[in-house]
Amino acid sequence: MVKKILSARSPIKSLEKNLKGGIGPGQVGVFASRKGVGKTACLVQIALDRLFEGKPVIHVSYASRVDYIIAWYEELFKKLAHLEKLKSEMEIHDRIVRNRVILNFRQEGMKTEQVLRSIEALLGPGNFSAKTIIVDGFNFYLPCAEDLAQFKKFAVDRQLEFWFSCSLRGEDPLFNDQGLPFVLKDYLASLDIILTLEHDNDRVRLNLVKDHGQILSKKLRLELDPQTLLLIRI
Amino acid sequence: MNGRLQRMRNIGISAHIDSGKTTLTERILYYCKKIHRIHEVKAREGGGATMDYMELERERGITITSATTNVTWNEHSINIIDTPGHVDFTIEVERSLRVLDGAILVLCSVGGVQSQTLTVDKQLKRYNVPAVAFINKLDRIGANPFKVKDQINEKLGRRAALLQIPVGLEDRFQGIVDLVRMKTYYFDGPNGEIVREEEIPPELEDETWKYREELLDAVSLFSDEVTEAILEDRVSEDLLLRAIRKGTISREFTPVLMGSAYRNKGVQLLLNAVVNYLPNPSEVENIALDLDNGEKPVGLKADASLPCVSYAFKLEEGPYGQLTFIRLYQGSLKKGDELYNTRSRQRFKVGRVVRMHADHMEDIEGAGAGDIVALFGVDCASGDTICSPGLNYALTSIYVPEPVISLAIEAADKLSADRLAKALARFTKEDPTFRVYVDPESRQTIIQGMGELHLDIYVERMKREYRVEVVTGRPQVAYREAITLRADFDYTHKKQTGGAGQFGRVIGYIEPFDGQYEFVNDVKGGHIPREFIPSCDKGFQSMLKKGQLIGSPIIGLRVVITDGQFHPVDSSDIAFQLAAQGAFKQAYKKARPQILEPIMKVVVETPSEYAGNVFGSLNQRRGIIVSSIEDGTYSRIEAEVPLSEMFGYSTVLRSMTQGKAEFTMEFLKYSRLPASLAEQLMEEHRQKLEAEEKK
Repeated sequence: MVKKILSARSPIKSLEKNLKGGIGPGQVGVFASRKGVGKTACLVQIALDRLFEGKPVIHVSYASRVDYIIAWYEELFKKLAHLEKLKSEMEIHDRIVRNRVILNFRQEGMKTEQVLRSIEALLGPGNFSAKTIIVDGFNFYLPCAEDLAQFKKFAVDRQLEFWFSCSLRGEDPLFNDQGLPFVLKDYLASLDIILTLEHDNDRVRLNLVKDHGQILSKKLRLELDPQTLLLIRI
Repeated sequence: MNGRLQRMRNIGISAHIDSGKTTLTERILYYCKKIHRIHEVKAREGGGATMDYMELERERGITITSATTNVTWNEHSINIIDTPGHVDFTIEVERSLRVLDGAILVLCSVGGVQSQTLTVDKQLKRYNVPAVAFINKLDRIGANPFKVKDQINEKLGRRAALLQIPVGLEDRFQGIVDLVRMKTYYFDGPNGEIVREEEIPPELEDETWKYREELLDAVSLFSDEVTEAILEDRVSEDLLLRAIRKGTISREFTPVLMGSAYRNKGVQLLLNAVVNYLPNPSEVENIALDLDNGEKPVGLKADASLPCVSYAFKLEEGPYGQLTFIRLYQGSLKKGDELYNTRSRQRFKVGRVVRMHADHMEDIEGAGAGDIVALFGVDCASGDTICSPGLNYALTSIYVPEPVISLAIEAADKLSADRLAKALARFTKEDPTFRVYVDPESRQTIIQGMGELHLDIYVERMKREYRVEVVTGRPQVAYREAITLRADFDYTHKKQTGGAGQFGRVIGYIEPFDGQYEFVNDVKGGHIPREFIPSCDKGFQSMLKKGQLIGSPIIGLRVVITDGQFHPVDSSDIAFQLAAQGAFKQAYKKARPQILEPIMKVVVETPSEYAGNVFGSLNQRRGIIVSSIEDGTYSRIEAEVPLSEMFGYSTVLRSMTQGKAEFTMEFLKYSRLPASLAEQLMEEHRQKLEAEEKK
């Protein structure tokens, strides 16, 4: 029961409603912003949304420390549990831990084939039936059209949803007139959903800039609470 | 300051298994002129290395017991405690760490930071032991000390910098550039005993300055003096040395040295580093608890004129009787002194005092604060605190984990039963994580320990040292029972038919509790007389030993008694004990008890191509994969797996990965056993009880 109550009110669900084609098996989404705005918080909340529903998640990260990632989950879980006044918090927490695997790749420039091989190993011989893959810390500034095409193909073949974070850097402007990050413009073919996070007077707003076939710049009625880093509807 | 103390070091050598720790110790003994010939660890003839003195250890090529030995280097007296490397023997490591002032953390230049390194590193940190790192095996193919240094920073989270860089690597490894003295050293002579100092080879100039800068950067982070000196470009050798020493002792910095013990290179420089950077006994803070004063912490002073406070950290049965290894923290002792064991509250006279060198010893008159020596013929257990009479201190009790696995054993023939008893008595004294008890129902002797290998080793030692052939049962997991709800009780024990009667009534509740057990007396108005309250407590405690689900010990329980009744004549100690037992039985079932099983934290290190298989094998074992970290070719997979599923895993892992993977495990927590398995265990328990009844 708890899962349902939580999921129905979840801002993640509201985000998905905003997407024309939704997000699901075979699709790739990206959160893009400068460092420290809240991409990881968004990714982890998507993961937690799936985990609350009892669906396994693989969290892939590049060069981040495992305890650091776990801390993100713990923190946001605690806040969500508090917000939703979860009763059997421990039990749900246990289930979440059980359904989450963190794959951490230490080296910069780890080959995508190898990353996919590891995911494959978990899904196949590892018998871990995740449908959602979170990818944090992937470097979009290295030429990676081919890699992203591989991720997309893998998503389609295996019927998985992928959520990436894209850390924007360099001098302004980072976005074109339509609000699309310059760095992503060569990869549009592989990315179904692009969301950007924008600082706006102490608030962090979410913009939908690519929704499947459509390039648009739509301010969503969603923001990140700067205190709790939880997504909230406005 | 006392010169004797300044020239004293108590160090341990911590490492991943097979990093060459024993070889390194061997070389240290050789260069300090303690042994006259170098043995190799896996020698073909004439026995193994000097420190690995137990026959079994020789055979397996690993070190199990922590032998201690004293050497002299540059007029400094160094006590070396050889610590075992395998995680199954952590209690040995931890006891040794308790008495160390500093450590050498040995790493393999090829393997780098391995799973075991993480464990021993954690132990060093738990006991606040300052360390220098030594990257060994620079002669090996694939040696890369720079990578290992990065790993020390990243994986161990230490602030480390190289104090040396190599001249050549692998089969071209020749010597070492010292970044503090800015000189190059070569090791000549058949066993590298002649250290030759040269200028830095021109082709290494750039690299040398690069790493020297890195070193200065690292040191300047905690030393303002060095920061200033860098700005003024006047960093002297002496200043840098003092800063590194300060940083190492405060554990803000880890100096990284390197060499190849096997090729006799770099060991002397490492010894210099031990003297230069690791603390002497007076530079380490040690605290004791005053037992006469509510365990108030008292600081100890490494002053030989104060009353003696020492710690028995290791017992060994030698051919001449029991040897007790002690570390003196304060005061001094000499032959004929009277000392006091604060645990057993017994006084004894000091007989022979010896300084140990692996397995031969030197008789000495006495010893002072900071020293590590062995006493003969003292009856005590390891972990005891020994003081001058008049003091009643206990050194902070070291953390002893609960055993998680048990095994029924029996002597194969009646004749050796005696020797078995002797062996067991001795092992339990030596190792607090090794326990023995006789199951009152099955009348079997059960040994308990920290893992399969841990118990295996003791079974082997029974055979070798005591010539006892034993028959062992299947290893059993140490399950626990715990309640999940609060439940009330109101129980009257009454037996008043003729003669002296029994009467007692207890009212209250039991509830889940975070610790092991707690007893709360909330009885008002003397409804249960004060003298019978402990009887109630005793009655409840007697019920904790065997839960009603599967007969396992109960943990995490609080008993609160709120009311009761007594009879002026018929109430007695035993009546209230029985009342409490009845009350417990009444409430336990209502409190929804469940079975808990030990969950181990398992870390597998495997070439990445086998990661899939490893995931699968852990999954099959009801394991939760927490994370997998890949760096290029290797994966480090961390999982939480029930102990009951881990039996024989080493064989499975070996065959699955062609022997290329290894794993470690340690106890993590107790957690609920899935209902289906709980049913099964309860059924087995029922059948066992029935079978016993029939008998």
